[in-house]
Amino acid sequence: MGVVIREVIVLNAGVVTVRFDGVTKRFGRQRVLAGVGGEVRPGHLLVVAGPNGSGKSTLLNILAGLLRPSYGEVRYLDGDVPLPRDDWYPRLGMAAPDMAPYEELSALANLRLFARLRGCYNGDGPLGTLLEELGLAAAHHDRLIAAFSSGMRQRVKLAQATLHLPEVLLLDEPSANLDADGHLRLGTLVERLKPTTAIAVATNDPREIAWGDAKIELAG
Amino acid sequence: MMRRSSLLAESLAIVCKELASELRQRVALSAIGLFAITTLIAVAYQIGPYSLAENDRPFLLSALLWIILFFASMAGLARVFVKEEDAHTAKTLRLAARPHAVLLGKLVFNLLLLLALEVVVVPLYCGLMGLRIEGVLGLVLVMLAGGATLSISATFVAALIARASGSNTLFPILALPLLLPLLVAAIAGTRAAVGSPELGAVLPALRAISSLGGVTMVTALLLFPVVWRD
Repeated sequence: MGVVIREVIVLNAGVVTVRFDGVTKRFGRQRVLAGVGGEVRPGHLLVVAGPNGSGKSTLLNILAGLLRPSYGEVRYLDGDVPLPRDDWYPRLGMAAPDMAPYEELSALANLRLFARLRGCYNGDGPLGTLLEELGLAAAHHDRLIAAFSSGMRQRVKLAQATLHLPEVLLLDEPSANLDADGHLRLGTLVERLKPTTAIAVATNDPREIAWGDAKIELAG
Repeated sequence: MMRRSSLLAESLAIVCKELASELRQRVALSAIGLFAITTLIAVAYQIGPYSLAENDRPFLLSALLWIILFFASMAGLARVFVKEEDAHTAKTLRLAARPHAVLLGKLVFNLLLLLALEVVVVPLYCGLMGLRIEGVLGLVLVMLAGGATLSISATFVAALIARASGSNTLFPILALPLLLPLLVAAIAGTRAAVGSPELGAVLPALRAISSLGGVTMVTALLLFPVVWRD
């Protein structure tokens, strides 16, 4: 099953680019972002760095369409054609610290749910393979998330974000709580997706900053 | 690559998730069950089948039945969206599912919960209170229509308040204008079914309940995408 999915990816490779210009965000009187611009495109990973509170997560939420900027604009372009906002979500995968899997469901049940919602459920096989790729052994697949460590939850979150092979992938502190093996596996996943997926990573981890082809440094 | 499942498939996935979560955690079932059984026994113990005058029985017992159903259901239905925000699962759901699929999935789950409550409470109540129903079919229709409209209203209000910080306070304030007319019509319909075997006796109440349900549903379908994503 996994092989079939990868063939489909190659056929539809590299179509969506995210462009953002003059993105400013205010929460009341507090200005979090001021005139930020850039581009996220396949094969060209964008790193967003900056001190705590500089607006890295806010910028990623704005790029995901989960938050509207006070000024400026974000466009998803299919070639040169702007996509309506409703078409962003099916193309988007995201993992962030404030996104959690369902604790009362198992790892596999979580992925099954999101695969069904994303319209890409082809049985449990590919989902199990994805979890194993991220270092979650088969013995844990049917365990409830409530019994997972924070590192294991992070692996499930990363699997949720990538199971539908998104065209745009936004990762906010993706290696949070991951051990050295987890970080290595995450790096391999990012490398595999990078040629066909527009990826932005918000991080201050030097190992993740090194993945970037472009970098936005936000001021504190 | 972009794939998309149908609205029906997405809604069904959400219903199945809600059922699996509820069977595992039993948060809503416990809240509803505790309230329903406690009030039912308290009412039966204090009033019982013989302490009301025969003329007052249809009206008072119908009103008491809906008060039990209403408060028991509110204990469970109101948290259907707040629990997603509290558990930090709402953002993932926002990205993965269409707003209408989320609304319909949550609504169907609430409806199933309410119908299960009615199936347990109504026969038990009739037995304990000695309430004889002349128009059983009429009562079933009123219960179905009332349950559906109550679920629609509760789900919609639950969605409106989910992202508000004072959500527990907001719920009764927003719910009152939606639920009060429903309760008045449902009590009238139940009283009519208790007193008359004719289906025509419950039709005015059924029309009122269905109209309320229809208007609330259309409003929810129009407003929910904005409430859910912005």
